[in-house]
Amino acid sequence: MSSVARGELKMAIAAIRANRWRSLLTMVGIIIGIVSVVTVVGIGEGVKQQIASQLGQFGKDLITIIPGDIHNQTSGANFAGTNLFSGPTSQFSLSAQDLRTIQRVPHVAATAPLSQISGKPSFDGHTVSGITVIGTSPDFPKILNQKVPEGAFFTNNETDENAAVIGKSVAQRLFQEDAPLGMSFEFRGRTMVVRGVFNDFSNVPLSPVANFDNTIFVPFDVASKLANNAAPIYTVLVKPDDPTRTKATIKNINSDLLRTHGGQQDFSVLDEKQAVSSTSHVLDLMTKLIAGIAGISLLVGGVGIMNVMLVSVTERMHEIGVRKAIGATNRQIWRQFMLESSVLSGVGGVIGVLLSLLVDVLLHAYTDLKPSISWQAMVVATLVSVAVGVLFGTAPALKAARKDPIEALRHE
Amino acid sequence: MPIIELTSVSKLFGFGDATNIALDEVSLTIEPGEFVAVMGPSGCGKSTLMNIIGMLDRPTHGSYKLNDRESSKLRAGRRARIRRDMVGFIFQSFNLLPRLTVLENVTLPLVYKGMSAAHRVKLASNMLERVGLSDREFYFPRHLSGGQTQCVAIARALVNNPKLIIADEPTGNLDSAASRLVMELLSEIHKTGNTILFVTHNPELTRYATRVVYMHDGRIVHDEQTAIGEIAATARKVMYTIPTTTEEDDLAGVSVLMKVRGDSSAKVRAAGKKTTKNSSKGKKSTKKGTKK
Repeated sequence: MSSVARGELKMAIAAIRANRWRSLLTMVGIIIGIVSVVTVVGIGEGVKQQIASQLGQFGKDLITIIPGDIHNQTSGANFAGTNLFSGPTSQFSLSAQDLRTIQRVPHVAATAPLSQISGKPSFDGHTVSGITVIGTSPDFPKILNQKVPEGAFFTNNETDENAAVIGKSVAQRLFQEDAPLGMSFEFRGRTMVVRGVFNDFSNVPLSPVANFDNTIFVPFDVASKLANNAAPIYTVLVKPDDPTRTKATIKNINSDLLRTHGGQQDFSVLDEKQAVSSTSHVLDLMTKLIAGIAGISLLVGGVGIMNVMLVSVTERMHEIGVRKAIGATNRQIWRQFMLESSVLSGVGGVIGVLLSLLVDVLLHAYTDLKPSISWQAMVVATLVSVAVGVLFGTAPALKAARKDPIEALRHE
Repeated sequence: MPIIELTSVSKLFGFGDATNIALDEVSLTIEPGEFVAVMGPSGCGKSTLMNIIGMLDRPTHGSYKLNDRESSKLRAGRRARIRRDMVGFIFQSFNLLPRLTVLENVTLPLVYKGMSAAHRVKLASNMLERVGLSDREFYFPRHLSGGQTQCVAIARALVNNPKLIIADEPTGNLDSAASRLVMELLSEIHKTGNTILFVTHNPELTRYATRVVYMHDGRIVHDEQTAIGEIAATARKVMYTIPTTTEEDDLAGVSVLMKVRGDSSAKVRAAGKKTTKNSSKGKKSTKKGTKK
């Protein structure tokens, strides 16, 4: 029986090759669909992996406290609250009071609030927009394992001073220098002095995580004053003194905060894994949405296949008649055309997967995106395209199979 | 036990006023090993009869027994398998699949039978050798002459070793030399015990048959046994009543002698062409012939 299947497969391929151009053009629909779906999913997957590796680099014992309850959200009502470091769009925020509560929890070794202040810094009369200013504590570089090669981060004794540590791209954009140590700039009427310049942060394009390379860090107290004592904290980063105590510390922070919040769970205390998943949540949703839209082109491709198969069946009516006359059953005719449409779409799928690998290479080479296409995605894409061929090949194949042999033979 | 037994078989096309009776209560019994020529004017129901006997079509009324088995009510799949295993079709227009090689065309019935590739290539090769075309296995049908193409079609019809061969004007598109080749081949097949039915317009070809059936307007009007090598008596009459000149020829003063140069096969060819191309005249003359 397998040799028969092979014979039929050979016939299907021969039929497809007999109409090379038409087959190729038919496949284009499937190819475009597969390339777009696979690429979008690959980009989403790549960003997720980058976020995970970025947070992984911060350490497994990193505890993140964000406003809003991500464990009990109702259908994305608190969408923004699910983003790690997503301060500006949060509906809720944590207060300085919360920060002090957290600091008093036993075994909390380091805390770093992140509080964003609006405004544009200016240097030498030029105002540069698109730079984020974040107020934080001296523990910040320690928690994120980030080095300050030029100068130093502000210390506990300097929390009142107008000191600032800047990201690498701020150095270039604001000062046009690599290490503008000791230089000063104006922000909200205050003159701030650059104390240090950070190393490159590992940034993730498309992620909701703020780009720290493009950020000016100031002491939290200064930030509070600049914001009239009302600097909203969108995230508090915490490290316990001992990594093995991470779980217990999370529990303690949660219960202490719950008490001060009057029993309302309007915040979330996350370990590293949860932080990653909460970050990827929106990304996942986006990926699904775009992939879904791209998937529509697969359906369009399927309709194209159906169209071509219908034409092909009509064209080959005489052949169908001959085949039936020499003993082909309806089922065998049906199988022949089903095989043809699924080979057509399957080959389209394989070409699509290969093309998306090429697109992947190009994206790696020319953009910041690092798409990652898993072999599972490739297999699924190929299977889906074959399924599209089966789905849209059924009607034409049935048409061919049910044709009366005499009528078919009369067809020229 | 007859291989074919038709009892009051009718075939109607269309509805109401447009109803067209292709077969009108035809009864016919054919014993195994007969070599039957079916003659008659175009549109007399010969092809419909062949299609019904070959399981491509079903009768509207009446009973058809193939190999003593009632076949008019069988389902499509069953009929397809009967076509595959018991019937070999040969068509006027050859009906080889143009995209397949000669060998692939011949193996096709075996593909549908589910035979393994090696086995079916072997059988098909043998069959091509039998029709004298073993050196053309990998040619495409378009590279063959008409006679060779029909021989390939015969090989395809025979490859499943069917009991019954149905040939609908197998020589209709061939010149006399190729016709002879094809008929000799069929006659050889007949000698091995197959039952053969063939439709022809050419009285000369009744030489090969053991029985000649004449049809007119969906009815069998004459049925005679004939010796192999003899033109059937009735067919001979038909032959001589077929005009060999057309009206245009008469007007132009072209005589029959100018068109037919004493060579009997050429005469037959001319006659055959007349009957197919000039159907009204052919019909008239055939009618005359059959009535006598």
